[in-house]
Amino acid sequence: MPVSKKIIKITQAIFPALLMVAGALLSGAVLIVIAGNDPIAAYKALLEGAFSNSYRISETFVKAIPLMLMAQGISIAFKNQIWNIGAGGQFTIGTILSVVVCLYFKLPPIPTIILSFIFAFIGGALWGGLAGWLKARFNANEVITTLMLDYIATFLLAYLVYGPMMDPNGFGYPQSAVIEKVLRLPKLIVGGRLHAGLFVAIAILLLMILFWRSTLGFKIELAGQGNDVSRYAGINNKKIIIVAMLLSGGLSGIAGWNEIHGIHFRLMTDLAGSYGSIAIVIALLGNLNPLGIAISAYFFSVLIVGGNTMQNLTGIPYSLVDIIQGLIVVFVITRTAFKAESIQSFFRKRRYQHNG
Amino acid sequence: MDNIFTATFFVSIFASTIRLATPILLTALGEIYTQRSGILNLGLEGTMTMSAMAGFVCAYFSKSLFIGFLGGIVIGMICSAFMAFLSVTIRANQVIAGTALTILGIGFSSFIYRIIFGIQKLPPQVESLTKFDVPLLSRIPYIGTIFFQHNLIVYLAYILAIINWVVLEKTTFGLNVKAVGEHPRAADSKGISVTKIRYTAVIIGGAFAGLSGAFMSIAYMNSFSDTMIAGRGFIAVAVVVFARWNPLRAMAGSLLFGIASALQIRFQAIGVPIPNQFLLMLPYLVTIIALITVSKKAEFPSAYTKPYSRMER
Repeated sequence: MPVSKKIIKITQAIFPALLMVAGALLSGAVLIVIAGNDPIAAYKALLEGAFSNSYRISETFVKAIPLMLMAQGISIAFKNQIWNIGAGGQFTIGTILSVVVCLYFKLPPIPTIILSFIFAFIGGALWGGLAGWLKARFNANEVITTLMLDYIATFLLAYLVYGPMMDPNGFGYPQSAVIEKVLRLPKLIVGGRLHAGLFVAIAILLLMILFWRSTLGFKIELAGQGNDVSRYAGINNKKIIIVAMLLSGGLSGIAGWNEIHGIHFRLMTDLAGSYGSIAIVIALLGNLNPLGIAISAYFFSVLIVGGNTMQNLTGIPYSLVDIIQGLIVVFVITRTAFKAESIQSFFRKRRYQHNG
Repeated sequence: MDNIFTATFFVSIFASTIRLATPILLTALGEIYTQRSGILNLGLEGTMTMSAMAGFVCAYFSKSLFIGFLGGIVIGMICSAFMAFLSVTIRANQVIAGTALTILGIGFSSFIYRIIFGIQKLPPQVESLTKFDVPLLSRIPYIGTIFFQHNLIVYLAYILAIINWVVLEKTTFGLNVKAVGEHPRAADSKGISVTKIRYTAVIIGGAFAGLSGAFMSIAYMNSFSDTMIAGRGFIAVAVVVFARWNPLRAMAGSLLFGIASALQIRFQAIGVPIPNQFLLMLPYLVTIIALITVSKKAEFPSAYTKPYSRMER
């Protein structure tokens, strides 16, 4: 494809997303005015909060890494029309297994880090894959099962940090012991938290671009477009659902690994926070495209990092960031509903789908 | 440790089970209509938070709890009308629409609350709904304390469970809702407006979620916080599936979640070394198991989460 055409194609892909973001920010501005504040000052404070010094800039990347990984994972399930809304739970299982490997497997540093990575991936994969299997085997609605498994993972984490994994020297705080210093990912800048997990994220991003060009990626996408199409193509839809959910959960597990080795170094209650739902918004705004997801993950982490400063400087509540997120989702679904063919009929329900 | 399991202990556990089950039951009762009509409203968490805020604000400024409940219900209906618009009219994916509604609901309620009240050292409060001892019955030993010493909304929730069962099973409206959820095309050809019934069912769901949200801020507590719903909206969705779309079974499901959290709160308060997280986990596990059994029997409304269009075949 000639370069000029490619540029046009990329612009066509990005323009609607930009428009939706602008729309959401504009609606946010209206709300700020209604609240009696100056929207320009507010957004200026938000940008200052995200970019005014190297620590803050590094924070925008720190937040973007797990969000991007989870959103990439979610995109695998969503392209298969499997609505995995429990990425937070898959992330949590990843954090738990990472810490377990680091604290209890008495191995040399490098094997520990690698094993921790593998365990986190497998843990997240199994947590997601369980929902996929329940869907394939029993036709159990994945929306409900991933949601339930999300809660179960949260309680499991709480049990561990209040019980068997509680730090004996932690004065009874609900947290585990910290992992050894050698197991932590090296910092990339002085005076910031940005760590080598960034390279893992970039590697996964590249892998995802390749993945969607692979046979498996193609099968997952095709199976998501309707059972009959893929059936004629000889694809075992049930198997694909399980595989898609395994990979989807696995990437969230890696996000968990990344947060343990790069940021928290220990288990605490509710490590996942609202990452699960933010990652859904990111995946959708990114049009389920790997690069789009990376960009929108960065955009959202700017909002998150800057939002707190905005609240402190201008008194405009941080919840404005949530509202902007919600509005973006509304714009995305409204647009796709009006232009169903735009992204591989992403939102069209499978006609022969058996719900359950 | 041995003597904590006394009669008083059980009486207070059961009484708080009933109280804790109330908001879940109310929301689940409304969601049963919604889901029976074929719409999965995952935005209940946001709807409830909005209504908790609205209920609190209305009660705070009008000094009337009745106005508070009314405000909660109206806001609940508005939120769910938006959900109905997205899922019925725009025919958007319901899971995503619900996610949007949850994020928006929590965001807006916390934004509006902060704008109205600003940051205060002591959170503003209202006189919450007092309990109403049912004459005579409340004086029966044990039974009275467990069942008949609650506030009016608690009694209302359990009465509504029965009323809703009658409406769904014995009235034309209930039949229409189910028809639209099972086979929208057939219902349409019989002259039932799929759009109208679905809008109605989703908005009824919103009214229940709204009452439930207001219950949280002005009857269960006496103040508002944007985290006060704490997953109850999602739990209600689980209860609906657990109950297989039956209001009476929803009562049982809500009580199961209620007793788990009642025991958890109590165990934590007296420091019993029982890992109460497993207790909290139990209802979610049971829901998954229930889901497996229902899915096999295909008891899901056939048109579940499927938008309807006359154009499509």
